[in-house]
Amino acid sequence: MKERLVNGLKVFGRLRIQTSHASIICYSALLLILFIAFTIRILPIRWEIPTGDVRLNEFDPYYQFSLTNKMVQDGLFSPYLENDGRGWINYQQWYPDGLDMSRSLPALPMTAAVLYSIISWLGVNVNLMAFCSIFPVIFGTISCSIMYFVGKDMGGKAIGLFAALFLALAPSFLQRTALGFFDTEVLGIVGLLAFILMFLRAIDGNRSLRSSLIYSVGAGAALAYFIGAWGAAYFLVDLAVLFVFVLILLKRYSQRLLLSYSLTFGLALLIATNIPYISLGYLTSGAVIPVAGVFLLLCLLEVLRHNISARTKVLLTGASFAAVVGGFVALWQLGYMQDIAGKFITVLDPFIRSANPLIESVAEHRIAAWGNIYFELGLGILFFLTGLYFTLRNPTNRNVFLLLFGATSLYFAASMVRLLVIFAPAFCLLAAIGILGILKPFYTLLREAPQIAVKSKRRIARVSKEYSGIVIFLVFMLLVANFAFAPQNGGVPRVYGQAYAPITVSAASLPLGGANLAEPAQEWLDMLSWTGNNLQTTTVVCAWWDYGYWLSILGNVTTLADNATVNSTQIENIGFIFMAPEAQAMAMLEKYNAKYILVFTTLRIAASSDGSYYVVQPVGFGDEGKWSWMARISGQARDRFIQTGFISAEAAWTDEKDFGVVSNTTGAWTWNDAGKSSTVYKLLGYAKQRWAEVSGTEYNVVPDETGVAPTYFKEEYFAGVDLNPIDASAKYGGLIPVVALYEIDWEAYYAATG
Amino acid sequence: MFPKVPDQHKTGKPLVPNGLGVIYVLFTTVYLFLIYFSRIAPASNGVSAPLTLAVCILFGGFMGLLDDWMDLKWRYKAFMPLIAALPLIYLAIENGLRTSISLPLIGMIEFGDAYYFLVIPLIVMIVTNTVNQLGGLNGLESLCPAIILMGLMALSPSHLILMLGPLIFWLILAGVNLQGKIFVGNSGSFAIGMNVAAFAVITDLKLPLLISIVPYVVNSSLILLTIFFAKKRASVSFDGKKLVSDHRRSLVTLITYHRPLTERQVVAIISLLVAFFTLIAVITSML
Repeated sequence: MKERLVNGLKVFGRLRIQTSHASIICYSALLLILFIAFTIRILPIRWEIPTGDVRLNEFDPYYQFSLTNKMVQDGLFSPYLENDGRGWINYQQWYPDGLDMSRSLPALPMTAAVLYSIISWLGVNVNLMAFCSIFPVIFGTISCSIMYFVGKDMGGKAIGLFAALFLALAPSFLQRTALGFFDTEVLGIVGLLAFILMFLRAIDGNRSLRSSLIYSVGAGAALAYFIGAWGAAYFLVDLAVLFVFVLILLKRYSQRLLLSYSLTFGLALLIATNIPYISLGYLTSGAVIPVAGVFLLLCLLEVLRHNISARTKVLLTGASFAAVVGGFVALWQLGYMQDIAGKFITVLDPFIRSANPLIESVAEHRIAAWGNIYFELGLGILFFLTGLYFTLRNPTNRNVFLLLFGATSLYFAASMVRLLVIFAPAFCLLAAIGILGILKPFYTLLREAPQIAVKSKRRIARVSKEYSGIVIFLVFMLLVANFAFAPQNGGVPRVYGQAYAPITVSAASLPLGGANLAEPAQEWLDMLSWTGNNLQTTTVVCAWWDYGYWLSILGNVTTLADNATVNSTQIENIGFIFMAPEAQAMAMLEKYNAKYILVFTTLRIAASSDGSYYVVQPVGFGDEGKWSWMARISGQARDRFIQTGFISAEAAWTDEKDFGVVSNTTGAWTWNDAGKSSTVYKLLGYAKQRWAEVSGTEYNVVPDETGVAPTYFKEEYFAGVDLNPIDASAKYGGLIPVVALYEIDWEAYYAATG
Repeated sequence: MFPKVPDQHKTGKPLVPNGLGVIYVLFTTVYLFLIYFSRIAPASNGVSAPLTLAVCILFGGFMGLLDDWMDLKWRYKAFMPLIAALPLIYLAIENGLRTSISLPLIGMIEFGDAYYFLVIPLIVMIVTNTVNQLGGLNGLESLCPAIILMGLMALSPSHLILMLGPLIFWLILAGVNLQGKIFVGNSGSFAIGMNVAAFAVITDLKLPLLISIVPYVVNSSLILLTIFFAKKRASVSFDGKKLVSDHRRSLVTLITYHRPLTERQVVAIISLLVAFFTLIAVITSML
């Protein structure tokens, strides 16, 4: 009996997973990295818990949320199939035309909707917005784990671990996968990394044919997912095509390459063209056409490999070139070839963007200044460069891909701040290769023979283990200085500064975070709660487009514009409303049946020159910092406004310079008469005046310029107007956010205008 | 523990531990991190001066170690310090450091943005490489930078604390180096060169730095011009007691040209020369 029991237990013993000590350490390190990645990304929840809800960050994620919500409520394809297949028009946004939600990439909302349905079915009771908020945290962590495998394939487990760690801490990637950032990049990077992992495995000649086929299918699925998730898929498609083309130039053509390429792109484009919103026209877009060109080239090379006569080879080559060029020209001339998507071409040529204030007004669309790139890379640029060096010295297929990925993504990142996120994986891989390349000889020395000969002008004959240890320690210290105590961030870890900040609405759009904001800022939350409780869903509120998503989704009212920026004419009109004098603004507001108008201002108190009293003045984080874009964008439609009779040629403007000048003495903006009669000046000025009256008088605070009550706009609800200077100092470091909602006084307007 | 190299200017060429500059790098890094943690020098406009300095010195030390290990080619050594210029450029921009240099007789030269993107990288590149080039004699590569550093510290009492500990430590190393018991190696000379350049940029002492490094610039100019035009390298002969040379292709060979001098004498002359220019730099700045 005892023997049987022992034997029985031995059977269980054989179930133990057999693994090496090194693997345990490696996977423990990976788990730790993933834990770090997750923990850092979830940090903003610290400001969400006190509000009792978890919201989304910034603005665009609300668009994705409304799609997800629709899919959860009415079915996965409902946004595309409603209205007899014309798609869902959301009339709560972009009133009166509404926002055509069927013109959206489906992968992100569909994935979220499916996962949400699964967890709901499992009995997990969680709010959809909270789920969407946590979604990027989970997928950001998954991206880090995929990065480990990509790095491992590139050069071993150590490179995989370093690359995963760097990606977990990369500022641009962190920002876009932190709590609440429920936007396309989240799945885009997952798709990008999964594609790289599987495509490079698929073309690996050392793998079996079966494995290659499986990875080709996987790569195709990943690419299709990426195409359905993020508009930047053009980048990956063209990068892969360029990579294969370079392999051909390097005389590395193989049947495996042809097989993997055709299977991957065939499957990817087959799935992609069946994705809602992406039609067959995708195949003829300028960025996707090269896929066919390279495919023909691969086919040609396959034919030329065979033992055929030279004459036939020349004929085939000529015919293929004629087919490619002829087909290209024919498609172009017949109008079948679509232009490269607007944003993609503006990335290739960033100077196109500078001519469009609508695009340039978005900070993340601007050309990356060197400071953005330095903040992203820090001193890691040293390892990036050494990584490039080691990669160039060993141009394997994977390394050729990495070089192309690094070079092209760096160009894209330099072209547009937002695309630093695409550069992040390339940087992480190259930096990891650089570090390991430098450390390898010293590490080997530590493990092996105590002394190794090296050459030097000083004829150093031997290098000791301790010396190697010091080199490794120095590299470690450089990494510490780069990640943990970054000088460019005042010694605070870069990721800490990036991640430990509340989501925008919970910070009332103030640049506060970390220890500077003890509790969530209530002003915007109060305003959105007020509109949700006191206004109808159909009530039209006019506001600058930054606040559109918040007002329509969190505040449950109807808005005229938001970050979707689908109708530039409407944005010009809103700019006109704010910059025109009240009477002209009312004429435009009448067109939109608006009942309320909202402005947001941020204030700060300063001592007067003689120190006897205090002055409250605008800081620039609200509309007082955005009105110049309102002037520029509406100024573009100057002729239209004149022709349609909204304003006279004398009173019309071109840009902000028509509303004032920067004072040579103080450097501050000085409004002229046109500026002082603009609607935005009055709305902001009166909000400031009201704050001074309600909360400033007791503390001897007066406004820097006296605000006058607007003629046609009545104070309805001003959130933040009761925040006294002491509380503002304690809670927001002296900043005072005021969200001012005015009711439009149509009676007064009609009475005045007859 | 450290690799040993023969001391070429001693009878019997005894083996001497090399690369002890790396201890200076580690000490200075720890010191500057402590300064940062103790908040003696708080971050200004979001940028920490001690950490910026620490990163630059770490990078200098790392570059020196690579040179000791791989014998880096000059084309790499010349441009690698540009990477370390990045934190300094960031600090200069964020703190709005002056973008002009006042030169005696010439007056004020305003560089504008070129100061950040051209002048600072040039300062870092030139100082680091010229300091590295003036060496090869016991005490030479440690004493001279210490003199310049003392001059800069005297002109910037508010930043004195940043370099006080490292300077004392460096002087101890210099004392041992002078006796021929250790060499600081490329890790030491690159780190101290980077240190001098970074400290001058952080403290906004460009003119004093430029005057102080005149002997270094002369030495490097002689070496490079001879290499480029005559394709010859400087070398000094050692007869067992004294150094002598039959050409003038560097500062050392210029001083020992047909004039036999002991190693100590040469080091003393060059150190005095550096001290003289540093004194001029200090006086010029105080005027």
